[in-house]
Amino acid sequence: MKRFLTACFLFMLMANVYASPETDRLALREFFAQRFPDLDLNEMINGLYAFDEGAREQWLEMEDFPPYEIAIEEGEEIFNTPFANGKGYADCFENGGIGIKQNYPRFDADSGEVITLEYAINQCRTDNGEEPLPWMTDELAAISAYMAYTSRGNKMSVVIPDDPRALQAYESGKEYYYTRRGQLEFACENCHMQSAGSLLRADRLSGMLGQATHWPVYRSKWGEIGTLHKRFRECNEQVRAKPYDAQSQVYRELEYFLSYMSNGLEMNGPASRR
Amino acid sequence: MKLKSNILVCALLAALMLPASLLAADATEYKLELAKAKATLRDAESKVQLWSTSEILLEDADKAAASGDYELAVKLATEARLHGELAVATAEREKKHWQKNVPK
Repeated sequence: MKRFLTACFLFMLMANVYASPETDRLALREFFAQRFPDLDLNEMINGLYAFDEGAREQWLEMEDFPPYEIAIEEGEEIFNTPFANGKGYADCFENGGIGIKQNYPRFDADSGEVITLEYAINQCRTDNGEEPLPWMTDELAAISAYMAYTSRGNKMSVVIPDDPRALQAYESGKEYYYTRRGQLEFACENCHMQSAGSLLRADRLSGMLGQATHWPVYRSKWGEIGTLHKRFRECNEQVRAKPYDAQSQVYRELEYFLSYMSNGLEMNGPASRR
Repeated sequence: MKLKSNILVCALLAALMLPASLLAADATEYKLELAKAKATLRDAESKVQLWSTSEILLEDADKAAASGDYELAVKLATEARLHGELAVATAEREKKHWQKNVPK
């Protein structure tokens, strides 16, 4: 009896410390439903344009001639150009790489690592005897943009398998998101949950929900298309925390958590932002 | 009489200069402070909390030391160490509190 009660107590303790990813996701949706009772949560895939009608109108006009269009075309061309060994990107992915971005990041049981789409693209290259592309190049973002484009309309479907290493990776990403850091002591959560929809000087802050659905993004501020990890680095720099390398373990795990939180939302990448 | 006053002046000057010479930073003091700063920043980095503003202070400290300005070098290394200590304090506090911000 004593053992049973101890086991029950330990189980309850663990349940309290580690809520399941699905419990987290539903609680997050509830948080935003209460925070913005008049907002259709599906609109949050459009970032700040879900909150700001004026900015949304300008953005919709910009979408008539989207600045990321060139990247999609370049990405498609690279994607369809065979490697020196005659194989191509399509050979590395399920469904020939078409319409699959919603499944990334995924947990790879063999390596015990979180694999983002950009990481998988470079794995595909090295597996076929090609040099990996530097993580922050336009070329890599363009391939990712093309693959994101073919996935538009699909629902984000990131899986946390029943593997303690996968759950640990998810938990690490979650801890990173909610932990204050940098000289300014800001957590991702401070801007994108507490202050979502508010103005930070002239910019309105996007909400966390849907933040992973629309990458890569052409940012007017950058003047080019870039990956989610480029944005992570920028966020870190803004709070004066030392940024990590794109596709570092820290950022891949952060993306894993962030993407799972957007499960069920429509993929709408690539996108344009201010 | 004149000799006596000269000796007195010399003694006074020596007394004034002694603390300054004791306080002036040197290469040894800089190396010690640099080692402390580096250890603290490594600790902050291991806790995923390094600031983007800290390592550049050590680079500047190195340049100051190379030009012989140990006073500035020590000052910069000390500032970097303080950055590290504050970052570690954030890490320790956040380790206990971050879960409170997760919606339940």
